[in-house]
Amino acid sequence: MADANLPASGPASGETSRRSFLRTSAVLASGIAALAASLAPLRELTDYTAVEKFFQKHYKELTPDEMKQVLERIAREVEKQYQVRPHVRDYKPLDGVEFVYCLNLTRCIGCRKCVHACVAENNQSRDPEIQYIRVLKMPHGSLDVEKADHNYAPASVPEKGFFYMPVQCQQCKNPPCVKVCPVRATWQESDGITVIDYDWCIGCRYCEAACPYFARRFNWTKPSIPKERLNPEMSYLGNRPRRQGVMEKCHFCIQRTRAGRYPACLEVCPAGARKFGNVLDPESEVAYILRTKRVFIQLKEEVGTSPRFFYYFDV
Amino acid sequence: MSLTTKTRNYFVFLWRCGRIAFSGDWRYYAWMGFLSLFVLLGINAYAKQFVHGLITTGMSDQVSWGVYIANFTFIVGIAAAAAMVVIPVYIYGNRELHDMVIFGELLAVAAILMCLAFVTVDLGRPDRFWHLIPGIGKFNFPGSMLSWDVIVLNGYLLLNVHICGYLLYCRYSGRLPAKWFYIPFVFVAIAWAVSIHTVTAFLYVGLGGRPFWNSSIVGPRFLASAFTAGPALIILAMQIVRRVTATAPPAEAARWREATPETGTRRPATLADLEVLGRHLPELGSVPTEARRGIVETATLLEVGPGVILLHQGDTDKEAFFVLKGRVVVMRQEAGRFRITRSAGPGEQFGEVSALAGTPREATAIAEEAATVLRLPVEALRKLMKTPPMNKVVRARMSERLMITDRALMMLRSIVQVSMLINVFLLVNEIFKEFYSRTSHVASSRYLFFGLHGHHALVPWIWTAILFNLVAMFLLVLPVSRSLKYLNLACVLAILGIWIEKGMGLVVPGFIPTPLGEMVEYSPSLNETLVCLGIWAFGLLCYTVFLRMSIPILQGRLTQANEGDNGAARSFRSVSAAHEQAAYH
Repeated sequence: MADANLPASGPASGETSRRSFLRTSAVLASGIAALAASLAPLRELTDYTAVEKFFQKHYKELTPDEMKQVLERIAREVEKQYQVRPHVRDYKPLDGVEFVYCLNLTRCIGCRKCVHACVAENNQSRDPEIQYIRVLKMPHGSLDVEKADHNYAPASVPEKGFFYMPVQCQQCKNPPCVKVCPVRATWQESDGITVIDYDWCIGCRYCEAACPYFARRFNWTKPSIPKERLNPEMSYLGNRPRRQGVMEKCHFCIQRTRAGRYPACLEVCPAGARKFGNVLDPESEVAYILRTKRVFIQLKEEVGTSPRFFYYFDV
Repeated sequence: MSLTTKTRNYFVFLWRCGRIAFSGDWRYYAWMGFLSLFVLLGINAYAKQFVHGLITTGMSDQVSWGVYIANFTFIVGIAAAAAMVVIPVYIYGNRELHDMVIFGELLAVAAILMCLAFVTVDLGRPDRFWHLIPGIGKFNFPGSMLSWDVIVLNGYLLLNVHICGYLLYCRYSGRLPAKWFYIPFVFVAIAWAVSIHTVTAFLYVGLGGRPFWNSSIVGPRFLASAFTAGPALIILAMQIVRRVTATAPPAEAARWREATPETGTRRPATLADLEVLGRHLPELGSVPTEARRGIVETATLLEVGPGVILLHQGDTDKEAFFVLKGRVVVMRQEAGRFRITRSAGPGEQFGEVSALAGTPREATAIAEEAATVLRLPVEALRKLMKTPPMNKVVRARMSERLMITDRALMMLRSIVQVSMLINVFLLVNEIFKEFYSRTSHVASSRYLFFGLHGHHALVPWIWTAILFNLVAMFLLVLPVSRSLKYLNLACVLAILGIWIEKGMGLVVPGFIPTPLGEMVEYSPSLNETLVCLGIWAFGLLCYTVFLRMSIPILQGRLTQANEGDNGAARSFRSVSAAHEQAAYH
């Protein structure tokens, strides 16, 4: 910059002003053209955000009427995309219920049937693949996850010298993911399930960084599910199809458990390693296990999250 | 002045600043064109990401933050470091750095804009940004550290925009800034600068499930590295400003003449001359007639034509000048090149700084057009300054100049020196704690420094960073860095070292191994890299534009007075045109 080149003020001659006008227009036009060219990829945008969707309120602020409209809209969208008419409901937590999961490490054989039952039940993306449950193959004698094998693929399970530890959302009583979310898109319900409003999440992934259990999954791109694999029994906070750019995770199969059924991972387990129920009911299986087992484990107890997911052994 | 006129003047100010941003010589256009190209490439890459999602990056569920957040973390430090220029000035009354405060704050503004851009491109649903707006969205305050970050970053942006904008507008309109309207904000901004970086550190420190970050030393390390890298960047940027605002000797220099009886007239000053000055300098009204008499007795009135030299750089005469009519340009000569440090119009002073300090003249003053000036011995100036209003106006105008001295750069050097020592010391603390105790929490550090289970993508990076930091530290401590050449080398190494260490070296290993012990590495994709380059280019573009607008204002060449003043404008342009001729032929 040799000088400040202060713009000339005052009248310029006709010739100069015409020339400078032409030059300015040329620069402006090429600038706009360059900007338009750089924005060209946006033409592939098919999933426009509708105005009603853009201004949709937070789950907790929707009136029952508004919720009805939202559920109707979701059903319409699912039908349009998958040609399947779904039943989308908003299941509320039940009074006097606190769900707890118990998993018997002595029984688990590492077959990963739970992983796939979960994917099928909860409409997780098949491509790219999203799974809520991660089964760790661990050498006998240690609970140190650093010794775990995540990608074991032997001809048959179980293998000698190892035990298997499935890990999914631990539904903590003191969930770090809820604390860090800047927009309260994830919270803990009265029955102990930590849920996500997929229509409110901004996709900052702070919860994913905060989770000590690697339980959260992000939709790095548009999820895809084959039409014939879609589970049409859906819930707003649970297994309805997600969009690109939002977080999801295990929600104890809200659409089943709040309707009095067992989670899909439990039903499919061939070894009977999984137990689920209302811990506030003294007659429940989980209450019995927590009362009678001498040792059970909450993963990473030292982090202070206080999981509602308990690992135990047959002794 | 009516509100309409005020509003109009403000918009004229904005309009003229905007026009300047689009004018310059070929080097300016080349630089801006180069940056715009990268901004456009970045926009293009981001458009792809917007359509296809963050899968276009190298991130995964295992390593869910990457270069976007790494750069964000580094640049928050650059923004915070503006405080390191402001503190010596406003708390310790350092005059050398005073002239650079605005440049430091403008750097903070550009840096915060980059931070906001980096956070935005990292969002999976940027269309839902409004969920973050307090009162409209559903803001998790004070629970989430990210909501704190939203508040402190935007607050810091507003504070700095207000301070720079106000000071520059005052300078432009020839008014003295009202202290109550900016000094309190300056002090708030100093504390705020510490807060933006502490809060950013707490984003990581607060995560109990990530032992690599869950350490109380992260906050202090952030501050130490910020106060190293930020002032280092300012040292480099100021030399660039100094370089590009200087030109070869103007063609007219050959025709510059001394003030002799042939080039102008001189006569003893009269009370009537002071009246004329009083019309442009209302504060003069506070000087009683008795004092005025004593002052005019020793004063001289000079009427000179364009190109007449009124004082010489390096001379040791002790006289100050007030302009009654016309315009005087003050130029500093450095290594054969010239830079306009200020331009004084009616009512304004020059030559007072060295007269009052009793130091040699720092620059040469030349009448840019036919000018009438009042020359007073320094004792007379001191008498004038006995009344508080005059004292205030003269002192305030003393700092209205574009001056980047080596002494100011050396002041910054001592800040960088101390910060770098603390930075390296804290790093050693952390390394000791991790590797001596060897708990299971050392896994991420082992991955970073030595590699783990056959994965060592970050090992060469972190050792490069440590080497750069150590070399920079030794250069800064040794007297060699009193020479700008070595100081610049130290600054470049420090910035690069800290960028690696605090960006990739902090963010990525926090995710490796995962909380379930899985080893998944991360490297940025091409698309992600282009977005980053685009944002860096955008930040540089902003800073260049800010400098482009503020430099002529600080030089006194873009003022409300010369709005529509064709005479002055023409004369500037003829000087400028001559500069350009001389510069390129």
